[in-house]
Amino acid sequence: MQIFKLGLFAGLAAGALVAAGPAYAQVTLKVWSIDGNDRPGIADTYSKEFDEANDDIVVEYRAVPFDELVNETLRAFATGNAPDIVSFDNPDFALFSSRGAMLDITERVANSEVLSQADYFEGPMNSVTWDGKIFGLPKYTDTIGIFYNKDLFAKAGLSEPPKTWDEVVEYAEKLTDPAAGVYGATFSARAGEEGTFQFLPIIQMSGGGYDKVNTEGAAHVLDLWKQMIDNGWASKDVLSLGQWDSTGTFNSGNAAMAISGPWEVDRMVEDAQFDWGVALLPTVTEGGERSSALGGFDWGIMSTTQHPDEAFRLLEFFASQDNRIFPEFGNLPARGDIELPETGIEKKDAALKVFQEQLQFAQPRGPHPEWQKISKAIYDAMQQALTGQMSSMDALNQAQATIDGIVN
Amino acid sequence: MLKALSSLRDGVGFDILLVGAALVFLMALAGAPLIYNVLMSFQQVDMFTLGSLIRPFAGFDNYVAVVQQPEFWLVTRNTLIFVFGSMAGQFVLGFALALFFAQKFPGSATIRGLFLVSWVMPGLVVGAIWSWILAGDFGVLNVILRALGIIDANIFWKSDPAFSIWAVIIANIWLGLAFNMLLLSVGLAAIPRDLYEAAELDGANAFQRFWTITLPMMRSTIGAVLSLGLIGTLQQFDLFPALTEGGPANTSNVAGYWSWQLSFQLYDFAKGATVSVMMFLLVLFASVVYVRSTRHEVRG
Repeated sequence: MQIFKLGLFAGLAAGALVAAGPAYAQVTLKVWSIDGNDRPGIADTYSKEFDEANDDIVVEYRAVPFDELVNETLRAFATGNAPDIVSFDNPDFALFSSRGAMLDITERVANSEVLSQADYFEGPMNSVTWDGKIFGLPKYTDTIGIFYNKDLFAKAGLSEPPKTWDEVVEYAEKLTDPAAGVYGATFSARAGEEGTFQFLPIIQMSGGGYDKVNTEGAAHVLDLWKQMIDNGWASKDVLSLGQWDSTGTFNSGNAAMAISGPWEVDRMVEDAQFDWGVALLPTVTEGGERSSALGGFDWGIMSTTQHPDEAFRLLEFFASQDNRIFPEFGNLPARGDIELPETGIEKKDAALKVFQEQLQFAQPRGPHPEWQKISKAIYDAMQQALTGQMSSMDALNQAQATIDGIVN
Repeated sequence: MLKALSSLRDGVGFDILLVGAALVFLMALAGAPLIYNVLMSFQQVDMFTLGSLIRPFAGFDNYVAVVQQPEFWLVTRNTLIFVFGSMAGQFVLGFALALFFAQKFPGSATIRGLFLVSWVMPGLVVGAIWSWILAGDFGVLNVILRALGIIDANIFWKSDPAFSIWAVIIANIWLGLAFNMLLLSVGLAAIPRDLYEAAELDGANAFQRFWTITLPMMRSTIGAVLSLGLIGTLQQFDLFPALTEGGPANTSNVAGYWSWQLSFQLYDFAKGATVSVMMFLLVLFASVVYVRSTRHEVRG
């Protein structure tokens, strides 16, 4: 809220400046992203640096909450107030590029001296490509794994992280200690994209996908999750907690295992007063198929921009800083040409290796232009099963019927 | 001609001009979006056609589709619980506080003024604060209730399907309490003191004074407070994303938030418009009841 107000005042002030002194040929670029809401992030930091280093360009940064970003941009685009540069969660990008809202930068990328298409991983690059044209650049990529508290594991006589979901439940029971306020596990089963982000990989591991959600394996894991919640091995609040808050309980020692991603690592290094590690996301069956969520954001220039040249210059600057995003922000670059440096922080470097391995199994959400509807069907089913309103299989069957109506 | 002009300066023409200006203003700012919204609920709308007025006609398809959504009846039930729960809580507590502060004790005006704090706070901030208070494991409310011996185990206000809608209602009551209290305080202050004095001389006790003087004299104020409360409650949006996002499994979803979800989360603008038209009909019904109930009232 505060940031929004500041941005508004900055905008008014900048507008007044331009009106007062037309001789000063300054270009103003508006950048929107989710960074800077709860902690310093990539977009706000880089925007400020570029703004300070360039006299001819003013960069106005606005932090928009994750859940409102698409909606806010859509509204701004419809009323002609769209930002020049915006970064979207990767499943949302196709929505905009497929409908002419993003600027085609294929030529610019080909002629750029700073960046090259070949540097980027295929999955993230696909999310900014539509109809053979490039409409943006991947900002970073990420995925999820299972964090575990090694001290609590040792106390419970466990040495290895769980490999299957059945083991997660078995361990969670052993690790739960109500007297000490410790839950066995925590995750995010929220009514939103984060819920889908954590549950879709399980559907994929059991042989399904976003268009085939009612698999036996997915129903089985939902039953396991419900068992954990019902027995108090996981907090009931996993139904309303986001990933960042959910992992917060892990960091404070109140949960022994947590499902989350590399964006947690920096805070964990700082907050967690115990020995911890991270492992690949558990599978449905012993040695079964692996999957994981493919997350991450993309940069794009909106097609309504008045300053495409300057906007692309800013985009090039963002890309040129990609080697900083892991050491400084804990996000994984979406490029193969960046050698990730050893940070010297042992736990962080170990976590990085796991997440890089996990990325090989990461599968995208969609892509589908009506992704949001599919996503809602998935997280609604998950919540109906976890609150006991329907059996897991019935809930997934209902979601399947909804999804069939969208996909076919 | 001259006559018409002079009528414009002073006369019937001038009155019509004034009424006309107000009507144009209303039509442009309230009527047009409303009609556009109703229109949209009868059309097939997607992101391609969002900006244009001419779109394929859908008849009642959107209405049928909305009613057939699996969550429709749940959302309807929640909306009614939310509206009546919030209004009852805001009104009863607001009235009680207004009566309390009407007893002129030292500092009563100042403390009453402090209640304004809740009213000027943005809904999102209130939502975030209540989100911490109502947290299941470490929330303040659970700690207090446990210390008082009212509950043995933590209540998961935001995540338990039995409580989720009440989590939003509690926050909303807190948010609307000050507004109710202020309006009712003004109404109380307008009742002539001598009425009470006369009643007291006649031997009426406190309850009789309240029942025969305060309530009848407050009738129009109460009507206004309740109708504003209905509108304010149906309008309430910020608390939902901040507290429960309509979850778990839509058990705290209400029509207003659902309409937003359909339009701006799922980009199904036609269905979103349809839900809001249904809500509009509900408000219309409530206003008719309100207007009819106060029509015969003797004012002054």
